[in-house]
Amino acid sequence: MSANRTSRGSLATGLAWISPWAVGFVVFLLAPIAMSVYYSLTDYALLDSPVWIGGDNYAELAGDGLFWRALRNTLVFAFFSVIGSTLLSVGLAVLLERPTRGAAVARAAVFLPTLVPVVANCVAWLWLFNPQYGLINSALGAGGVQGPNWLGDSSWALMSLVLMSLWVIGSPMLVVGAALKDVPASLYEAASLDGMTAWGRFRHVTLPMISPALTFNVIMGIIWSLQVLAPPMIMTRGGPDNATLTFSMYIYKTAFEFGRMGYASALAWVQILITLVLACGALALGRRMVYYRAA
Amino acid sequence: MDIPSHHTGLTRRAALGTLAAGAVGAAVWPRTPRSRADIPSGRTVIDYWEKWTGPEGDAVQRVVDRFNAEQSRVWVRRTAVSEIDTKAMVAIGGGDPPDVVGVFSYNVPQYARSGAAMPLGSFGDASTRIDPGIYVPAVRKLLTYRGEFIAGITSLYSLALYYNRAMFKEVGLDPDAPPRTVPELDAAAERLLVRQGTAIARAGLLQNLPLWWPYFWPVMFGGVLYDPEKDRAVFDDAATIAAYEWVASYPKRLGVAASEEFGVAYNRSFHSPQDPFIAGRVAMIVQGPWLANFINHYGPHLDYGVAPIPVTPGIFDDASPHGMLEADVLMIPRGCRHPEEAFEFVRFTQRQDVQEQLAREHTKSSPLVECSKEFFVGHPNKCVGVFDAITRSKNVLILPQTPVWKSYAHLTEGAFDAVWRGEHVPAVCGAVQRRAQEMIDKAARVEGLRRARG
Repeated sequence: MSANRTSRGSLATGLAWISPWAVGFVVFLLAPIAMSVYYSLTDYALLDSPVWIGGDNYAELAGDGLFWRALRNTLVFAFFSVIGSTLLSVGLAVLLERPTRGAAVARAAVFLPTLVPVVANCVAWLWLFNPQYGLINSALGAGGVQGPNWLGDSSWALMSLVLMSLWVIGSPMLVVGAALKDVPASLYEAASLDGMTAWGRFRHVTLPMISPALTFNVIMGIIWSLQVLAPPMIMTRGGPDNATLTFSMYIYKTAFEFGRMGYASALAWVQILITLVLACGALALGRRMVYYRAA
Repeated sequence: MDIPSHHTGLTRRAALGTLAAGAVGAAVWPRTPRSRADIPSGRTVIDYWEKWTGPEGDAVQRVVDRFNAEQSRVWVRRTAVSEIDTKAMVAIGGGDPPDVVGVFSYNVPQYARSGAAMPLGSFGDASTRIDPGIYVPAVRKLLTYRGEFIAGITSLYSLALYYNRAMFKEVGLDPDAPPRTVPELDAAAERLLVRQGTAIARAGLLQNLPLWWPYFWPVMFGGVLYDPEKDRAVFDDAATIAAYEWVASYPKRLGVAASEEFGVAYNRSFHSPQDPFIAGRVAMIVQGPWLANFINHYGPHLDYGVAPIPVTPGIFDDASPHGMLEADVLMIPRGCRHPEEAFEFVRFTQRQDVQEQLAREHTKSSPLVECSKEFFVGHPNKCVGVFDAITRSKNVLILPQTPVWKSYAHLTEGAFDAVWRGEHVPAVCGAVQRRAQEMIDKAARVEGLRRARG
C-alpha cells in the first residue's frame, strides 16, 4: 500500500516535471499536425475559414506539373547529396583520423562551414558560382576550361546546389570520425597478419564496424535533403525554369505566397509520407547490411 | 545507493545579489515601449504596416507625420514590413492584424473574396465617404472587386521603355524618336548590341533583365492574360503565343547561354550603382517609374529617355499608349482594433495634395482624375508625362483580378524560362493555360460552396 503510494507520488512528480514539454508537444506539435490533416481536406486561404472539399487537394496533385517537378528535383537532390556527403565524409574522416601533423586544424577547417549561418553560406556561394566574376569559373578559366553558368543554366542549377551541400559535411564527418576511433585495433592487427591489403582492411574491417554510423548519417541526410529550403530560396528562387524548385519550397510558396494553405497541407503530407518511406527503407536495408557488435 | 549530501545550493550572498540585480533591472526597465514614448497623450494609436524602406519609406513616413500633425485624435505608427502580403495574411488569419496594411493591387480580389478587407464603401457618411470617382478609370478597377470599393491607393505604376539616348546617338539612331513598334524595337536592339566573341558586352534589349514580369510581354501583342467576364485564363491565344515567340527570338539570336549568363550577372544588381541600365550594360530596358528615382541617386548624368512600351503595328495607337497598371494599395483588415480611425487615415492619404506629394517623392504619376498643374512642374521624374499618359490611356490593362493570380503568375515564370531555353511555345503556353484554368475553376467551385454554406 505504502509502496503503491510512493510509486504514485513518483509518477505525479515525474509527470509534473515533464509537463512543460508535454504541453508544448501537444500545443505546438501534435495539435498542428492533426489540424494539418484536416486542412489538407479543405480549401483554406488563411484569410477565411476552411471549406471542406474532401480529397480534392490530393486529386489535384496528379495534374499539377509543378508538384511533379518539385518532387523530381527533391529526389535528385537527395540522391546525389546523400551519396556525395556520405562518400566525402568517410573519405575525409579516414584521412583526418590519421595521427598526422595538422589533422586537428584540418578537421576544424572542414567543420567550420557547419557553423556559418546558412544565409551567409548561400551569399558566399552565389559569388563563387557567378559565371563572370566567380572564383570557380576564374579557376576553370585559368586551366583553359570554360565554366558553366552554374545557377543560371537549368541543366546545371540543381547540381550546383548539390555541390554546395557537400560544403557542409562537418557533422557527418565527426560522426564517422568517432565511429572510426571505436574500431578495435586488434581487428586491424589480425587482418594484417592474415595478409589483407589496406583496401581489404578498409572494406572488411572498417566499413562493417562504422556501418551503424553510416546508417545514421544516411537517414539524417535523407531527412535533411528532402526538406531542403533555404539554399534554393535564397540563391535561385526555384529557377531557372523551376529546375531548383524543391518540395519544401513549393509548400512554402503555395501556403504563404499563393495563399493556398489547404493544398500546401496536402503537399506537406505527401512529403512526410515520402520521407517516412525512404527513411524506413534505409532502416530496413540497414538491418540487413549493418553490423552491430554484441555489447 | 545513498547520494552524498553537499551544500552546493545558493549561498545567501548569491541570492541577495540576484535579488538586488533583479530589482535594479526592474527599476531601469522602461515602463513605456520606446515606440510609444513620443506619442502625445490622448491619441488613439493605429498600426500601419507598409512595405517600403529607404528613401521610399521616408516619403511614406512624411505622409504619416503630416497626418499626425494635422489632427489631434489619431496617431499613426508606421512599421516597415518585408514580404508584407504574406505576413499580413498570417496576421489577419491569426486574428491580430494591423489597422491599415499597405499591400499590392493583386491582393485585392483575394482579400475581397474572403472578406479579409473591410470595404471602404462601408465607412463614413455622405460627407466623409471616399468617392471612387476620384480615381482614373483603370485605377478604379484595381481598387474595386465586383463593384465593391475595397482599397485606397498609395502609388501607381506601369511599365515603359527606358532607353539610353547617348547610345542611340552613338549608333546613329534618333534619340528623339524611340521605337514605337515591335519591329522598330528589334531593329534598335540589334544596332545597340555589342558582342565580345560569343559573349554579350552590351545588350540592346533583353527580356530577362529584369526577370520580374514574365507575364507582361503579351500586352505588347494585344494579349490580356485573363477574361473577367468568363472568368477564364487567356494564355494560349494567338497574341500570347506571338508574344512568347518574340521573346524566344532574342535568345535564339543572341545565344541561350550568352543571354542567360548576361542575365544572371546583372539580375541582383538592380537599383544599385551596378544596375545594368545605369551602368550602361543594356541600352533599353522595360522598367517602372521608380527607376528614375534610382537614376537620380546613382547616375544623375545619365542621358536617358522613356517611351511607352512598343507594340505590334496592328494595335499601335499614337494617342493612347498600351501598358499594364499595378498599384500599391491600402486596406483595412477585418478584425483590426480601430477601423474608424484607420479609415480616417486612409481617407487622408487619398486627398489630392497628399497623393501628389507621395507620387512626386516616389517619382510616379498621380492615380487621380484631378491633377494640379504644379504636380508636373519640377517633378523628379522628368518622364512622368509618359507614365501619366499610360495611366490615362483607354488601352491600358490592369493585372488579372482573380484570387489565383499569384499562382498563375508563378506559372508564367516557368513558362518564360522554358521559352527562353527554346521549348515549343504553343505547348508551353497551353500547359500554363490548362493549369491556370484548373485553379480558377477550383476557386470558383469553392466560392460556390462557401456561398451555399452561408
